[in-house]
Amino acid sequence: MSTYRWLLQACLALLPAAVMAGSIEVTVLDEGGEPVKDAVVYLLPNGKVPPAPASQVTKVDQVEKNFVPHVSAMQAGGSVNFPNFDNIRHHVYSFSPARKFEIPLYEGVPTDPVQFPEPGVIALGCNIHDWMSGYIFVAESPWFAITGEDGRALIEDVPAGSYDIEAWHEKLHGDPKKTRQKVQVAATDNATASFKIRQKKVFSAFRGAASRGGGYR
Amino acid sequence: MLIRFRHLRTRILVFVVGLLTVILGSFYFAANTANLRNARAHIDEALELTVGALQRSLQERKQNLFQNVRLLSGDYAFKSAFATEDHDTILSALNNHRQRVGADIMMLVSLDDEVVADTLHPGAHGEDFPFPNLVERAMDSEFGEAALIEQIDGRPYQLVLVPLFAPDMVAWVASGFLLDQAFVDTLRDSTRSEVTLLFEQAGRPWQPIASSLSQEAATVTAGEIGRGTWQENRSGELRFGGEHYIYVVSRLADSGSSPVAAVLQRSLLEAMRPYLELRPVLLGIVLVGLLLSVIGVWRIARSVTRPVDVLIEGAQRVEQGEFTEPVVIRQRDELGRLAGSFNNMMTGLQERERVHNLLGKVVSPEIAEELLSKTIELGGEEREVSILFSDVRGFTTLCERRAAHEILTLLNRYLTRMTAAIEAESGVVDKYIGDAIMALFGAPLAAPDHPRAAVLAGMGMCRALDALNDELAREGEPALDIGIGINTGVVVAGNMGSESRLNYTVLGDGVNTAARLEGLSKQYGCRVIVSESTMQRSTGILFRELDRVRVKGKSQPVTLFEPLGTSPDSLPVAQEMLAHWHAGLHAFYQQQWDLAAQYFGRCTGAAYLQDSAGMFLARIRDYRQQPPGDNWDGVHTFTSK
Repeated sequence: MSTYRWLLQACLALLPAAVMAGSIEVTVLDEGGEPVKDAVVYLLPNGKVPPAPASQVTKVDQVEKNFVPHVSAMQAGGSVNFPNFDNIRHHVYSFSPARKFEIPLYEGVPTDPVQFPEPGVIALGCNIHDWMSGYIFVAESPWFAITGEDGRALIEDVPAGSYDIEAWHEKLHGDPKKTRQKVQVAATDNATASFKIRQKKVFSAFRGAASRGGGYR
Repeated sequence: MLIRFRHLRTRILVFVVGLLTVILGSFYFAANTANLRNARAHIDEALELTVGALQRSLQERKQNLFQNVRLLSGDYAFKSAFATEDHDTILSALNNHRQRVGADIMMLVSLDDEVVADTLHPGAHGEDFPFPNLVERAMDSEFGEAALIEQIDGRPYQLVLVPLFAPDMVAWVASGFLLDQAFVDTLRDSTRSEVTLLFEQAGRPWQPIASSLSQEAATVTAGEIGRGTWQENRSGELRFGGEHYIYVVSRLADSGSSPVAAVLQRSLLEAMRPYLELRPVLLGIVLVGLLLSVIGVWRIARSVTRPVDVLIEGAQRVEQGEFTEPVVIRQRDELGRLAGSFNNMMTGLQERERVHNLLGKVVSPEIAEELLSKTIELGGEEREVSILFSDVRGFTTLCERRAAHEILTLLNRYLTRMTAAIEAESGVVDKYIGDAIMALFGAPLAAPDHPRAAVLAGMGMCRALDALNDELAREGEPALDIGIGINTGVVVAGNMGSESRLNYTVLGDGVNTAARLEGLSKQYGCRVIVSESTMQRSTGILFRELDRVRVKGKSQPVTLFEPLGTSPDSLPVAQEMLAHWHAGLHAFYQQQWDLAAQYFGRCTGAAYLQDSAGMFLARIRDYRQQPPGDNWDGVHTFTSK
């Protein structure tokens, strides 16, 4: 929901240019032709891009010992807050080169959001809950979107022009640069792009049942 | 039977001891076999348990490793250290964790399969991870984890590989336990089986890694297993250095590029030790049992054979005619009763022998034999025999001046000599009638030349009497004179008398004739008179014809002869005189009284012929006065007995 709010604000801010803007409808499928959810599709800047508004604060909640949403995207320069909705404390951290940080055990909403000045993929973890995993995709441009269950995403308010578009997914095999495509955005028309990405096998920390006793895996 | 025993005792002994040996031997063998089989089964079971313990131990160590590395993988401090990307820090953190969990090696491996840090080889930073198949396995697994036994620096390590999450998977963490002597020793201590770890090397002796056995034994074991004669999960046998091992080979699970196998072995001797310790006792019991039974059997056998020996001795004594000594067996069993019966039998035999001996004395031995050999019954058979009668002349007169016992002594002495002379010619004394003897020749045993034997016996009796008379003369006793009559004829021979008492004797005319001839002897002045029937069958003996007579009670005349000897050189009278005698006798029969008187007159010159010649001269005088007539056959009739 916060995304919509943010989009609404973005639209209002860019109102003068909106007349000249178009949108890109993107489909991400896996090698088997199945839609891929939680893939981030984004345009590379083809010139100077508008900076992220300082007031923009993305939120990644902690609910039921999970990061919600699992994947978030934002423009570099923005900040993220990590409200804890659980009745226990969490210790959110990242060892990702793009932004290393940690918020030692805390409850509720941290006072200061975390700044993300550099683009990159931030893998989020919780020190005391190994299975808790979340991603923040920090894009260089403000033109990005996250696919839904149907593997579709819509990048809106893209000024007409020629762009490089890429896709990232947590299970993407290889560098996202390899997914790069050209996309032509017209002011009046909806452009389309589709990705067929190869997924790698990804292991993650195991979340066992609460009552799981001893014994071996 | 192939073996023949001369003694019953040996046979019993050999049989019983042989049987006992076979039985005890079978028991001993069965016990041996059962114990061996039991020991093998026990070892097989123990080895199976050991295999289980080995695999379980490995499994536990593996899980232990997994848990340790998972802990590390979730360790925030380590993630922080990893995030520093500083090799020394990472290595140090790895070592720290390795020490915490007691692992022998820890490695951090990048997702590009490069070694980030290696506690065993600190300088290996940036090299290729040497166990790509471990990564491969982990990639193929559900949780990105894998375990393998791999060789590092020639030693086997149990390795696990686990992803490092920060929180995404950022690297691999490997950790390992060394499979070393301590592992082997622990397993040996808990299972009591010898454990040897080997690197499996196809076509070459397997390389021993660690062993609870001596190095030498481990090398031998490795060589044996390397020959590839074993089968997985099947026990085999191995002998060396005086030991006998049962072994089983178990390949370790999770073996990587250098497969490791464990040889688990147990000593058969060790497993059989309780029995082996018992075996001398068992053997002792068997031997003592055998010895006792030998002694027992020997004694029992002897208790049978010794009385039997005594009985044999007794029987041999009986064979030799000794009945006086009874067999002594102081046993109350069958043998004791047998000895009693034997003694009774001996007493019976003794009785019979006594009767037999007495019979032989009462009657002649031949008659006794005849009596004993047949069933005694009255009746007889006709047969030709020669009968000899002898009598002491003037015995009655002799008796008058003597005591009865002196007479008996003399008579016995005389009869003994005579009997000996008779028996020397196979004669049989039929009976003694006071001083008279009746003897038989040709009965009861047939003898073809019994007449000659009778004549020889008569002459022998005369010689025996001469010898006796010499003795008597030295003793100052008067000489004895005898008369003997011998006749040959058919008689009835057999048992005569009553049902209750009988004699073996002969009856018939021939017997009477012999008695008559004996009675005539004195008148002719000779000792022996033989009938013609006897003379004719007495070849080789020279005779003098004496007379033709008709004895009392007989119508048939008898011609009498006197035996003179067996050789012309040993005659009692000169041949010339004998010729005169026979010429005189011839003339007498022709009634040529003068010529006869002339010859007989000449004969009177010989002392030997004096009496008989004188008798004929007297007879000639009678016939001259009363001629006998033309029908006279020359026979003189005796009216007296």
